[in-house]
Amino acid sequence: MKTHRALIPALLILLPSIAQAAELTQHRDPESGLLSWKQVDRGFSLELIQLLPDLVKALYTSRGLPQSVVDGMAPYCVFGSVVQNHSGGELSYRVADWRYVTADGKKHPLKTKIQWLADWKKQGSDFGWSILPAAMTFDTGDWAQGFTTVRLPPESHFDLIYSWRHHGKHYTSTLKNLICAPAQQPVPAP
Amino acid sequence: MLGIAGAVSAAPPLPEMSHTLTALKPAKAAKDFSLPDLDGKPHRLSDYRGKVVLVNFWATWCPPCRREMPSMERLSQRLKDQPFVILGINQQEDPERVFVFTAQVDPSPNFPILFDPNSKVAHAWGVLGLPASFIVDQQGRVVYRAMGGREFDHPEIERAIRGLLKNERLKK
Repeated sequence: MKTHRALIPALLILLPSIAQAAELTQHRDPESGLLSWKQVDRGFSLELIQLLPDLVKALYTSRGLPQSVVDGMAPYCVFGSVVQNHSGGELSYRVADWRYVTADGKKHPLKTKIQWLADWKKQGSDFGWSILPAAMTFDTGDWAQGFTTVRLPPESHFDLIYSWRHHGKHYTSTLKNLICAPAQQPVPAP
Repeated sequence: MLGIAGAVSAAPPLPEMSHTLTALKPAKAAKDFSLPDLDGKPHRLSDYRGKVVLVNFWATWCPPCRREMPSMERLSQRLKDQPFVILGINQQEDPERVFVFTAQVDPSPNFPILFDPNSKVAHAWGVLGLPASFIVDQQGRVVYRAMGGREFDHPEIERAIRGLLKNERLKK
């Protein structure tokens, strides 16, 4: 009985964190072999989908953008990304606050839509709609999508530390062991 | 803190299309615009005063934009006898590309598709990402906003629009 009583405070401490547990799902597309990760944590959902470099190149080329813009994307590992608000209230994020962590433990800022637009403007181009909005305040049920860009070579492993605000509080979460898409489409397993 | 919901699964589900609208309080005056449709005919928002207008910013390469378009046409058909209009404002694409795309949509949109080649209207309306939708009431005020894809023929959205239409009838 004493043991049970001693457990009650511990359970009370644990319960809120159980209720707030992040849920991570990972998928492999059966046709392309590419991976995606989706994490829902305290009302904020972030999904990252591997994109082949050739697909990104094709998208920008087909828009008739200058070759310099297409080439400018080449050093980046690009993910399709979707953010969703399931919080039941207003929520906001700023990509400038997010960091990716490389294998050496170093943290790096992501290139934001604002920075991409500044580069592209110099080249007389604007395809900003393709990049995940740099910052947004959105309501429950709202979502946003666009590319997230990380300056790493194909197949690099990294963690992404991302954050958001909800009801005046700052929240942080991590997507661990993300992998940049390979340079070429993976050969499907027999 | 981290609960992994199983190993790598095979098929990634498409992001859920929601059906929520954010009511804007207070409602603010919609910024007027005049944009050409596929035939080059100009459409001015203020010419639709007295009607409820769903203004949708979209592009053919944007997956949720493609997914929500049939639901907009179904909504348009359901409200065809009402003073309700949808204006689909394409971003930075040429009419040929858009024409080919709309022909493939089922049901194909019968509402005006307008062209915002430099995204000036989208930027003036504060659009940060695609798709983005706004509902303008009969007095030309933006009363609802939706960021990201929606199932526009969902009963909750239809009810919100019918509510605006009904309010106007009650005033008369």
